[in-house]
Amino acid sequence: MINARKEILKQLSSKSRKTKRPSPWRSRHESENLQKRFSLALENVKGEIYLASDLEEVLSILGDVLLELNAKKIVVSDEKPFRDIDFSARFPEVEWHVVGKSNGNLRDFCNSADVGITSADVALAETGSVVVSSGPGRSRAASLLSPVHIVILPNSKLLPDIFTWTANRGDDIPSQVVIISGPSKTADIEQTLVVGVHGPKRFIVILYSD
Amino acid sequence: MCSLYTCPLVVLQLQYADMGLDNNNSNQVALFVTCLVDQIYPEIGLAATRVLKGAGFEVDFPEGQTCCGQPFYNSGFVKEARRLAKRTIEIFRNYPAIVLPSGSCTTMIRKEYVHLFEKDSNWHQEAVALAKKTFELTEFLTKSGGLEIKNPARNGLVTYHDSCHMSRSLGIKEQPRELLKQAGFQIVEMQAVDRCCGFGGLFSMRMPEVSQAMTEEKLLRAKQTKAPILVSSDPGCLLQMRSNQKDPSTVQIKHIAEVLDEVIG
Amino acid sequence: MSATLRQFRRKADKAITDERLQNAIENAAERFVEGRITALSSVPDVGEMRDHFKEIRDATISDLATHLITFEKNAQEAGAKVHWARNGKEAVQIIADLAKRHGVELVVKSKSMATEEIQLNSALIQQGITPVETDLGEWIIQLAGEPPSHIIAPAIHKTKEQVADLFQEHSGEEIPADISALTAEARRVLREKFLSAGMGISGANIGVAETGSAVIVTNEGNGRMVTSLPPIHVVVMGIEKVAPTWDEVAVWLSLLARSATGQPLSIYTNVITGPAHPEDVDGPDEVHIILLDNNRSRFLGTKYQEVLQCVRCGACLNICPVYRKAGGHAYGSPYSGPIGAVINPLLFGLEKYNGLPQASSLCGACLEVCPARIDLPRMLLALREDEVNRRILPWRDRVMERLAASVLLHPWLFDCLVRLVGKMRLTKVIQPFIKVKMPPLAGRSYRQLWRRGGGE
Repeated sequence: MINARKEILKQLSSKSRKTKRPSPWRSRHESENLQKRFSLALENVKGEIYLASDLEEVLSILGDVLLELNAKKIVVSDEKPFRDIDFSARFPEVEWHVVGKSNGNLRDFCNSADVGITSADVALAETGSVVVSSGPGRSRAASLLSPVHIVILPNSKLLPDIFTWTANRGDDIPSQVVIISGPSKTADIEQTLVVGVHGPKRFIVILYSD
Repeated sequence: MCSLYTCPLVVLQLQYADMGLDNNNSNQVALFVTCLVDQIYPEIGLAATRVLKGAGFEVDFPEGQTCCGQPFYNSGFVKEARRLAKRTIEIFRNYPAIVLPSGSCTTMIRKEYVHLFEKDSNWHQEAVALAKKTFELTEFLTKSGGLEIKNPARNGLVTYHDSCHMSRSLGIKEQPRELLKQAGFQIVEMQAVDRCCGFGGLFSMRMPEVSQAMTEEKLLRAKQTKAPILVSSDPGCLLQMRSNQKDPSTVQIKHIAEVLDEVIG
Repeated sequence: MSATLRQFRRKADKAITDERLQNAIENAAERFVEGRITALSSVPDVGEMRDHFKEIRDATISDLATHLITFEKNAQEAGAKVHWARNGKEAVQIIADLAKRHGVELVVKSKSMATEEIQLNSALIQQGITPVETDLGEWIIQLAGEPPSHIIAPAIHKTKEQVADLFQEHSGEEIPADISALTAEARRVLREKFLSAGMGISGANIGVAETGSAVIVTNEGNGRMVTSLPPIHVVVMGIEKVAPTWDEVAVWLSLLARSATGQPLSIYTNVITGPAHPEDVDGPDEVHIILLDNNRSRFLGTKYQEVLQCVRCGACLNICPVYRKAGGHAYGSPYSGPIGAVINPLLFGLEKYNGLPQASSLCGACLEVCPARIDLPRMLLALREDEVNRRILPWRDRVMERLAASVLLHPWLFDCLVRLVGKMRLTKVIQPFIKVKMPPLAGRSYRQLWRRGGGE
């Protein structure tokens, strides 16, 4: 294998030529009306948006949504802004699994859960996307295996677009970062759109003012 | 005594100047009919000649001309294409302007000759000089502006096919349409108006199944406009579409020179 | 796998006479074409962005070694293992050895053109490992035992009835030919595979040198499953897919999904940087990245270098009038359409794929839509020139063309010969030897008429 690396690099280096790199493309989107633009973009990709004035209202909306979904099993990540909320107490009819805290096999629970609830690092207004990453208290499976994924996020995390995000990325990078732009979908059979394939069938974002 | 601005020769002088050409007080253009027109559709050449004369130009046909070299260039015979290109440059280099009733041949001279002579700076210079004064017919007529329509069509319907070279290589889309409107026609646009008709030169002979399927689609789209006349600025497209027309009585396929020739009176 | 002129024509003809297939291709292509136009229209200064993208891709490809070394270093720092493969055989062996070492029997795969290029699946099966495709379109064609017919939508040639039959054969249970039901069945069957597989294999749309990350985009979520659920994740990435910085990745991603399907972004843009961290709750224990050359390094410094800028969006396929008639299978490779016509001869040999440079009318539509502004028509011309110079073009063609060129150097000879053919009605004699209807030669040529009347 050492030979392969050497040979490939030798072949590439022999034909190498330094050309001028243009300066980076910067965001050309404005930073106003982020909430409105995000909501429109999200609905365009068949995501669902709820707006709340504070965390308390978020929980009220969440209650309604969970009722509508008839959710019985929910996995929730152990992260801000809802780290200190006692979900079991708040919604006792539901079986809750808090990532990293509850007992039992996380993956099995996620696979049979009705809903996965997480927060996100940021949200991108241009494309109606949220950026979710791995880390302590956060499970990759929680936002992936169940048919519904709910994201709870303060307005302050809204950014205009992907360029704003990459320009302010910071040094560390988690093992997984995923930019989620709607519920899973496919049009592989006869070009007919079907929502809900391997990932969640419904993607719900609850934004609140902070 | 004509005033300075209405004297025909002065008007022409101004036109040439507008086009960035140096014509030495002549109103001469060289017509490069193209090999297809010469041997298969001479009537297009005659129509183009009459139209250019009608617009006030003196038309010359340098008899040494044959082929611009495109079929050879496109099939990988670069040496042969180069030889033909050099001949073309030699034959046409002393004319103030060269006009062709063909988007594809105009593209070859204007855009591809410089590639043929990338490694030969003298010929490259010549190619650049020739490119500057080589025009497609509708482009030239629109730029020079001398065309007079004495016998306009009465709102007849036509549909116009944007050939690959005219639309994507040269960007000449509006000029033929303006001329058709000037000529009194109403244009009904077809779907996929700039999709390739399937000619592609030797492509039509090497891949006849795909080529003919493409032409059938183009003819169907033209038929769907219900216009009785289908117009093109490229003799190659004309050849392809006419050869594949199952019933020529349904739609008349004409070159724009022929259409204009009928209305200049 | 090959596509000589004869093979291409035969398969193309089959596709052209299949009315259902023609409709399927037309619908899919038109949908993608319109989607692309709409999606790009909402990008500020999109023309400038494409110019910028071409520049950054060109700059990257010109100095590929530097960026690959940076990528390798950062990937290793993040805990990934980086392997180099000169060709498909080496890549396959790396994966097979890894699988054997870990006792892997079942592998789940997300869609990867690079793995199709090296025929990974059949090689793994030969070594006793079962690969399961998880992208719905790819799974369908895997069950059918067919190659993909489009870079983005591999199963556009299949009807829902055909899919239902395939699924039924596979599971033994009856499934209605209803698209929602079929999708639900795929979700059910493949979910079990995701959860039990010992290894997940993906491609990479982009390899980010700055952080040693692999970016994998999907709409279905299978890309996330494959890279998160099995304990080992393997990435197979062509060496040309590297982007030096995250700024450049943002441009790349802004153009990729828009050009491919008309979406602003794919549903899931998944960024993998090494295996799970100690404090992560889940994720793979090992991440292996295989950097695949397979003849790519050979085009560096040649007139074909530009082709390495390709991001596999499929926009050129959707707009190509030849592809839309001939269908993807005619190209004899996972890569079809204009990009396939150029890279198949380059990757796999011009002799085997001599039909592909001819499979174009040089209409230029592909150049117009390519996000990286790759001059595919010019590459096709260059390949045609190679076919002439390397005597791959049949001798008859070469003789005819050289003869014709010689005649055209002498106007009097040209005119005489053509007039002769016309006068002696030789067209009728020649016709059987030429595949298309001979053009009707005029009674008198223009030059004859000019001489007589000065063009009146």
